[in-house]
Amino acid sequence: MPTRALSVTINGKLQPVEDIPEELMMLDYLHEYRNLTGTRYGCGQGMCRACTVIVDKPDGSSEEVRTCITGAHFFDGKKIRTIEGHAERGEDGELKGLTNVQQQFLKHFSFQCSYCAPGFVNAGTVLIERLQRQPVDRSQLESVISEALEPHLCRCTGYVRYYEAVRDAVLETSGTIAGRD
Amino acid sequence: MLLRRILTALALNLAVAPAWSAQLDENVQTDKNVLERGQYLARAADCAACHTEEDGTPYAGGRPIETPFGTVFGTNITPDKDYGIGNYSADDFYHALTEGELPDGTQLYPAMPYPSYHSIPREDSDAMYAYLMSLKPVHLKAPETELSWPFSMRWTLNFWNVMFAGKDTAEAQQQFDQWKRGRYLVDVLGHCGACHTPRNVLGAAQSDKYLQGEVIAGYEAPSLTPEGLARRGWSPEALRTFLREGRSAQGSMSNEMYPVFHHSTRYLRDEDLNAMSLYLMGENPPEAHVVEVGDEATADSPGRRHYLNVCAGCHGADGDGIPHVAIGLQGNSTLRLQNPRNLVKAIHDGIEARAFNGFERMQAMPGFANELSDQDTAELTNYLRQTWGGLETAIDASKVHELTQGD
Ligand code: FES
Ligand code: FES
Repeated sequence: MPTRALSVTINGKLQPVEDIPEELMMLDYLHEYRNLTGTRYGCGQGMCRACTVIVDKPDGSSEEVRTCITGAHFFDGKKIRTIEGHAERGEDGELKGLTNVQQQFLKHFSFQCSYCAPGFVNAGTVLIERLQRQPVDRSQLESVISEALEPHLCRCTGYVRYYEAVRDAVLETSGTIAGRD
Repeated sequence: MLLRRILTALALNLAVAPAWSAQLDENVQTDKNVLERGQYLARAADCAACHTEEDGTPYAGGRPIETPFGTVFGTNITPDKDYGIGNYSADDFYHALTEGELPDGTQLYPAMPYPSYHSIPREDSDAMYAYLMSLKPVHLKAPETELSWPFSMRWTLNFWNVMFAGKDTAEAQQQFDQWKRGRYLVDVLGHCGACHTPRNVLGAAQSDKYLQGEVIAGYEAPSLTPEGLARRGWSPEALRTFLREGRSAQGSMSNEMYPVFHHSTRYLRDEDLNAMSLYLMGENPPEAHVVEVGDEATADSPGRRHYLNVCAGCHGADGDGIPHVAIGLQGNSTLRLQNPRNLVKAIHDGIEARAFNGFERMQAMPGFANELSDQDTAELTNYLRQTWGGLETAIDASKVHELTQGD
């Protein structure tokens, strides 16, 4: 199988450039080449969003991308965040702190089997980052959260708890609601 | 014995008589067979696609239909007396169906394909009328249609006579029954020409270009001529499968054609689908053109790279697709259209998820407007069309821009 060099930054670290098969999907690259197995393989068809990672764009915005249906080489030269990149860690890898989204998910007991959790954490994070750049009116908040979380499937049906956790996370983050701070 | 027969007859009558006591024209038969025939004909005429709002009550109207002159709304054709056809006699219905004129003299917009329906025989119209009048009335007003000039003008009434369908030519009379049946289903009931025939600037179908393809709601309704179909890989068998199942090796129903499949063609009997294929492709259909896949399918190129990046996860690195999930691209009809419009727009906008017969479905395809630049989309389009569509021509970024601007 033909290979091609891939250069990608994951969770703030430029990965060693290496030749990988040109047909490899990003999910397999993360699992097999980087041992980052927190990104889940759910449907493998772009339907459930368990495999979502965050792409940080040069303009400072961020977006979700499904890695089960996106080739690894699509990310060449890009910066991405996986679920492993959210919590703050010390030099020796020891856990220093969780993000607000993670904390709210714990507080609301959002995770059940947790298979979908990485996707939801990424979705909630991308939403909050977007709202910080483009705050919405309080009256739009409910629909904005539904829209952001709706594509993500949770087999344990923890939707309400995810929803409430994200709402609290948004409300606790300054600059997300227009005219409020 | 006699008593049992009478009771059975009574029970049957009770079962089929309209429960809503709509004022049915007394000359019209309403026995079970007529109602079933009316339902079949209404399906073949695809009434529901335009007269049913998405997820709405069948035939209660309200579906918006985009035309170059404004939005037309399908009307309520349930037996409701205020908003539906509850006060129509069978004569009124026949006149509206075949001439496009309502009992009060209002001229229907030509989005209602009365030019095609012009040849519907009276007994078929009566059966459809009986069926529609047997439905439960729905008291719902469809939004008003407001079109710009010239569509408010009465000259449109004469559209039908420029259409091939309206004339029983000498040539047609000499044909055999299956061909005639096919013509009736394609030209008249199915009104395929309404979308697949080029229109002039005033919206009139150009009879000399019958079924040669036209752009509808931004997508091309491709040519249905025997040559056009065979060039894109269609055989009569594949056409029949496509109409009955909603998908075939040549692709799956999408855009404006999906409602046609959903409300109409999937209900048609095999012999009728055969007749349609025979009429469209002829008794001696041209050989379906097969695309030879060369080395360029796997050779490195910008287009191939885009394909592996954003398409191969679902359509496979070799273009085979995933059964029940994503269609194969080898020999896919959309890749083989001379005009790249449909392919470019599908890549740019994505395609909705679609359910087909049984438990078959195709998942939603995301649009790549944010991931691919116009240049990327042009390279991907060229790769797809040249590799699996067998086309030579290439398009550039400006063509992509032209086809997708305003979206
Ligand atoms: S695993 Fe990628 S969307 Fe389900
Ligand atoms: S917590 Fe089990 S799938 Fe969501």
